[in-house]
Amino acid sequence: MDNSEASFYLSQLIGKNLRLHTTDKRIFGGQMKCTDKDRNIILALTYEYRAPSEAEICRTVEAPGEMSAPVSWSSRYVGLVVVPGAHVTRIELEESVFGKSDVAL
Amino acid sequence: MAENHGTTSGESTAVVKSLNISDGASSDLRSPPADLPLRQAFHPAPQPTFRDITEKFIRACSALDTGQLVKDEYFTLFESIGALEIMDPKMDSGFLQPGETLEDAYDTLAPLLPEEVIGIMDQLLSYEMAWHRGYPLSQTLFTSVYIDKLLWPEPKTFEQAQFYRDGPPDNKRPGVLLEVLRAYCLALIKCCDFVNAKVTSRDYYEEEDFCTHTYNRVLFVGTPVDVFSRELDAAVERMEDTDLEMNLALQEALIARLNFRKDFLVALDFHSPIERLDKSWPPIFSNLISLNATHQLGKSVPGAFSTKLQRRLASTVPPRPIVELDFADAFQTLKQLCLDCEEATHFTRLEPDPLEYQSFLWAYASRNPTPLPYSRSYLATLLFHPTTLNATTSIPLADLRTLVLPASPLLDPTNWTLSPPRNLMLPKPPRLQLALYIDEFIERSGQPYLEFWTALGQNRCRLRRMLGHVIISWDQLQNDAGIVDEDIHATLEEMGTQVQDQVLAYPLTSWTYAKKLTMLEKMILLGFEQDIYLPDEYAGQYFFLSTVSSRRRDLLSNILAHLQYRHRCLLSCVEPDLPKAAEVEESIGYLQTLHAGATGIWSLSTALFHFYTLLMYLRLLPIPNRPFSSETLRYELRMKPFLTLQPPEVLPFEEFRERVRPFGDYVAPDAGFWKEVADGGSGGRLWKEIDACVRDAKEAFASVKKAGAKKARAGGVERDWGREVQGVLASCVALGVGAAGVKGALKEVGGGKAGGKRKAEGGMRLGLELGVKVEIPGIGTGKRYAEGWVVGKVVKG
Repeated sequence: MDNSEASFYLSQLIGKNLRLHTTDKRIFGGQMKCTDKDRNIILALTYEYRAPSEAEICRTVEAPGEMSAPVSWSSRYVGLVVVPGAHVTRIELEESVFGKSDVAL
Repeated sequence: MAENHGTTSGESTAVVKSLNISDGASSDLRSPPADLPLRQAFHPAPQPTFRDITEKFIRACSALDTGQLVKDEYFTLFESIGALEIMDPKMDSGFLQPGETLEDAYDTLAPLLPEEVIGIMDQLLSYEMAWHRGYPLSQTLFTSVYIDKLLWPEPKTFEQAQFYRDGPPDNKRPGVLLEVLRAYCLALIKCCDFVNAKVTSRDYYEEEDFCTHTYNRVLFVGTPVDVFSRELDAAVERMEDTDLEMNLALQEALIARLNFRKDFLVALDFHSPIERLDKSWPPIFSNLISLNATHQLGKSVPGAFSTKLQRRLASTVPPRPIVELDFADAFQTLKQLCLDCEEATHFTRLEPDPLEYQSFLWAYASRNPTPLPYSRSYLATLLFHPTTLNATTSIPLADLRTLVLPASPLLDPTNWTLSPPRNLMLPKPPRLQLALYIDEFIERSGQPYLEFWTALGQNRCRLRRMLGHVIISWDQLQNDAGIVDEDIHATLEEMGTQVQDQVLAYPLTSWTYAKKLTMLEKMILLGFEQDIYLPDEYAGQYFFLSTVSSRRRDLLSNILAHLQYRHRCLLSCVEPDLPKAAEVEESIGYLQTLHAGATGIWSLSTALFHFYTLLMYLRLLPIPNRPFSSETLRYELRMKPFLTLQPPEVLPFEEFRERVRPFGDYVAPDAGFWKEVADGGSGGRLWKEIDACVRDAKEAFASVKKAGAKKARAGGVERDWGREVQGVLASCVALGVGAAGVKGALKEVGGGKAGGKRKAEGGMRLGLELGVKVEIPGIGTGKRYAEGWVVGKVVKG
């Protein structure tokens, strides 16, 4: 992929909703604003999602009652964030169900 | 929209019809289809799908050049600075150190000792007060694990607000003490809700004054106050239970805390009726004493508070440390809060007179220490309460009547009872016309008037800044008043000289001008009070103050002369109109006080102006070296808030310079200066003027003091008013002493020979030779007799 191709591809993603997985197992969902060579990504209007802790899962599993009990992820609003490229493990693009996304992939 | 509606209902009819065909038997029972819009069934929002683009994204990024950015064209570098860096422990509140867990290990159901409960309660109180002093909840109360448990996940019913969720673990039903702590915490949260509601209902500045942010936590907004009172009552009952095996002192300490919280909650109640307010604060004070005395019984539980909780708050700021406020400090804050609020309730007992209100507001704004945002909102709520604002006479009108138009035909109530002629082409009766003019003006003045009151409800620093804006809006009002005055004048002329004689010329302009000048004086004095000016600017600023107050003094004596004439007329006519004469007399009393006050301010500021001018020439005040600015620009900047005013117009710089530097340059004064300081200043014109002005000022303020607070329309705050006048009087005395001190020093070094020598050297070392120093008393040190009147102290050395 050459530079102009890369710039074109990335600029299509601007303003799209991305989900970034980080090395500490958190997920950040927000609107992409900016990126650079080191894959640092700025997201706006971001929510942070965190998997329930192991202790909580154990507690739910051990608790008497239903066979399948849900454990909820905790989430909170964090606003504008920059996720350093070194900590990004996975990048996902949100696609609307109403028609294909207009990103040429 | 209408078309759409039609088609939907049409469709539904079609459906019913087709059903009818298939089910003929029941078709008769069916009611005819109602013409209602189609109700959509609830469809869950379609779940978006996510596509993994990691690999391609990484490839694309690595193809970018170093330093190349792919960004939204509207996204600026400035904005990007505000982004929180994830995984940076200083920025990312969600970052976990290796091995650290998100959840706090603290068990909120573990039994507590009574000492520990006291410790936690007192710590909570400290955090509550830190919040009152301006820190956000995230750094104070929301660091409490107990409060977090009660508020998150958000309880759907009040009963759900427990230290546990989803039913208590069987073996761990919370004990009595935990129930007591729960009741206390619940009431505390409701207190915060009331405080937030009160503060946000009035003018305040988010984060500057107070942080109302609750981080997406709901502080039991919908739950009424009696629910919390009941919880506290039940807790007190539990504590009083004789079966409880507990040290009596601890038991009493806990009960005192519960009772305090209950009284405090009632006092803070947002919906409390205005008549009951003054009764709600005194009960708190009795509990405060035992609260403070039993604090040492408590044992702190550091684990019950944690910064980790910030990770779960909706927050766009980096993690911040817990704010530690000493209990002694917190207690002092609490006491101050209660005292200030109690003082504010006295407002409801004032006579319904805008001038009394205004004196009260000034006195309240001058309280030391300055009232907290909550107390200020508390007073503002009373001030802007419908019962205050919807007085029988509108507020600006009442003010106008007292100051310039007592018992005036212009404000005769019968003016408002006349009907306009049926034929609109005919002129209206002149008296009705007057009423309409006055109505027009009063409506126009409402906004500037309320702006002024709003400014008075702010803290001192902001009051000064806001006054700058308020003065400008009063300047515009004065312009408009001039136009209405012309109209009034024309109508009065029509009515004949007899009526015209009874009305002050340009009444509305005079009123507006007098008010505006008062605000200007206060603003300049506030500048001194807050150390806005440097010592080498003192002369210039006191000079400006003296020009403003001399205009006010002249204006007031004008009004006063008219009122005295009116008074004589009313008494000397064939049938003396005594009630009217009494009304005018009352206004005269008020104006005399104002006039004496203005004279005092003029004399004292003139004296200080000359005093500081001479000190500058004597090199007794430091002249800072300012290589990067010119005096003209500095003057313009300092006078900026007043440059647009007319009147009073700010003097052009050249004229100003002539006044504050009567002897030319400070470093090389002309011969006039040497005459001034010769023979210990005995022959000096300025020294003489200083003495005369100090004498006049003393006399004027003494007569203000003698007239008393009632006449000055400050009867509701008599003590504060008296203290203020006393402070100014003491400043006059101090200035007399200071001037004498400098003159004495001049005499000591005086003598023909030395004088001649100094002249040769250009007076460069004069300050050193005099053997005296001038100390400027700092703000808040208690060394100023009145904070706005800075009188330098002359000391040997």
